[in-house]
Amino acid sequence: MERAHTIPHRRLDPTAAVVRSAVRAMMPGSSTLPGCGELELDAFVRRLLHEASWPMWLATTASSLAFVLTPPLTVYLPLPSFLLPASLLDRHADRMSGHALYPVRQAAMMVKTVMGMHWGAHPRVREALALPPYPEDPGTWRTH
Amino acid sequence: MSHHAFREPGDPLELEVDWIVVGSGAGGASAAVALARGGARVAVVEAGAWRDPEHYPSSAYGGARDLMPAFGGLATAGRAQWPVVQGEAVGGTTVINSAICVRTPGDVFVRWAAEHGVGGGPMAERIGAIQDALEVELHASRATGRAVGRSDVLALRGAAALGYDSHPTRRFVEDCAGSGQCLQGCRAGRKQSLNLNFIPETLERGGVVLSCAPVARIVLEGNRAAGVRGRFRHPRTRRAGASFQVRARHGVFVAASAIQSPLLLRRSGIRNRSLGRQFHAHPGTGLFGWYDDPVDMHIGATQGWSSLAHRDTGGFKLESLSIPLELVAGRLKGGGAVLAERLEDFRHLAMWVMAVKAESVGSIHPGPLGPLVRYTLDRADMVKMRTAAVLLAQTHFAAGARWVIPGIHGLPYKIDADALHTIEDAPLDPRAWVAVLSHLFGGCPMGADPARSVCDGEGRVHGHQGLWIADASQIPTNLGVNPQHTIMALARLRAETALSRATP
Ligand SMILES: Cc1cc2nc3c(=O)[nH]c(=O)nc-3n(C[C@H](O)[C@H](O)[C@H](O)COP(=O)(O)OP(=O)(O)OC[C@H]3O[C@@H](n4cnc5c(N)ncnc54)[C@H](O)[C@@H]3O)c2cc1C
Ligand code: SF4
Repeated sequence: MERAHTIPHRRLDPTAAVVRSAVRAMMPGSSTLPGCGELELDAFVRRLLHEASWPMWLATTASSLAFVLTPPLTVYLPLPSFLLPASLLDRHADRMSGHALYPVRQAAMMVKTVMGMHWGAHPRVREALALPPYPEDPGTWRTH
Repeated sequence: MSHHAFREPGDPLELEVDWIVVGSGAGGASAAVALARGGARVAVVEAGAWRDPEHYPSSAYGGARDLMPAFGGLATAGRAQWPVVQGEAVGGTTVINSAICVRTPGDVFVRWAAEHGVGGGPMAERIGAIQDALEVELHASRATGRAVGRSDVLALRGAAALGYDSHPTRRFVEDCAGSGQCLQGCRAGRKQSLNLNFIPETLERGGVVLSCAPVARIVLEGNRAAGVRGRFRHPRTRRAGASFQVRARHGVFVAASAIQSPLLLRRSGIRNRSLGRQFHAHPGTGLFGWYDDPVDMHIGATQGWSSLAHRDTGGFKLESLSIPLELVAGRLKGGGAVLAERLEDFRHLAMWVMAVKAESVGSIHPGPLGPLVRYTLDRADMVKMRTAAVLLAQTHFAAGARWVIPGIHGLPYKIDADALHTIEDAPLDPRAWVAVLSHLFGGCPMGADPARSVCDGEGRVHGHQGLWIADASQIPTNLGVNPQHTIMALARLRAETALSRATP
């Protein structure tokens, strides 16, 4: 049986930073639920980018980049999403997910999927919603 | 040693057996065990890793990483991009499915006979007998007790109020604990995925399993299938390992799924204009009902309620679905604080889904990033999807839902019973709908006419010897019911036929 593995850490990782900023904005939290930014997001994103298949990696990074670049289509400001003030960033996240252009909507859906995989599995979120915590995914298999 | 997992590059693995089965899912495992029971030495060659319940993940992330091809990243390339969901593991998609057990409806055999010159009454009779046996072997039983969650109880109530027939689901599960985790693999070992029964039995009967072993090519000697070859692939890093070559004295069964089987035949040099054609599916999507009291849909079987009442008249099937919290975010509209607020309601949501008996036809091709699935629902099928959505909404309201969350682009986030007409008028553009494909058919369709099919009515690839199809790819139409039972029975039938034909 093989054990799960460690993820290499790079100090400067622009791809991870883009994904993180999109995912964090998509789930800022509410009065009763923690937001993604409070839930070890960095470790999750690094892990995802390391473990994902090539098509999944591409879909994740392209969608996150779309999130960063599309404020002109949603809040009509020529700024990347990470330079938006908080209230506009929130509006951008919401409008992108219901945008009239299908590719824009799909990109938001992908960011939400990534966000959901992290957020929905986190013990703090699960506790808040009366769900049992997940044991760790072993990541193992039969080797003989 | 009878199980060979990933091997580092080095000495190649070489074996000779009577029969090779490529793929170990519903079709492959069923064919393998039938061949082994017939006294043959079988090698099952599977692309995915062999994971037992203690290896299964719990999270949706772990499910995509450990149990699906390409991290679950395949989607249709059509008007809309809808995920195409499959398993990649010893046991194939049966490891991640809900194990719903529905017998092949009689009209399917009639249709195959009329449209493809195969099937008909004799096949119906043999499949029926095999399905009787499979139901005993795999503990088919109706959900009871803990397996019937509140979402299922509500659905039963709603359907009864509307006067249509529905019931707790019949599944291949022994004593379900109602954990709602079937899609990540049943860690309790109750679900009868085929890695727990048919594959171990194949080994006990002298068979061999190669896991982490994607077949690159079928080796052809003239028009005879003589074996398979490929290289082991590490299940985590995906790096290539040692090469393997398995020779078959009698033949090769291909059961790599409706997506992969046609691609494998094509890259093995098999030329047939129907390869990758006649692709069908049951696309599905769901609606949430919002209830005043918590529903806690994660309690109960993953799919504890179903109705076939509208299969023949409406062209769809209805089911409950305990969708993991991780995937709910993608199904609710909105982003940012709005989405966060909506997710607070999770405990009050019940998701019910439809599977559309779609007549739209697609095709499978090799693509730059993996398989390319060309598929778009036509207008008639979209009408079925919309009709089913209306009925699901009505059922939710009849069960006491305060609102329904349709998740259809252009519609309000949630509607009450007075606004049902918004779903009735919902757009028929597939891009407005978030659907998935999980029941897949065709790609190597069977048929009497070699110009319009890949294999004959017995599953033999036209123009070749010792080459059989044993998975969903041989099915030339949709079924309108959950397909695992049909696929397993067809595979067993193929194996028994092959054994009776093989020269000793
Ligand atoms: C989420 C989900 C839920 C479902 N629920 C139900 C249900 O409740 N009831 C039901 O009846 N049906 C259900 N289905 C459908 C059902 O599981 C499938 O139709 C069925 O398993 C398909 O059988 P198959 O043999 O064609 O392919 P699979 O079961 O997918 O098996 C194919 C196998 O071949 C392997 N493979 C692929 N390429 C290669 C290669 N080159 N070399 C070696 N191996 C290869 C794959 O890794 C895989 O293990 C569900 C499907 C999904 C995705
Ligand atoms: S609901 Fe839970 S216990 Fe029941 S079969 Fe599915 S995973 Fe196993």
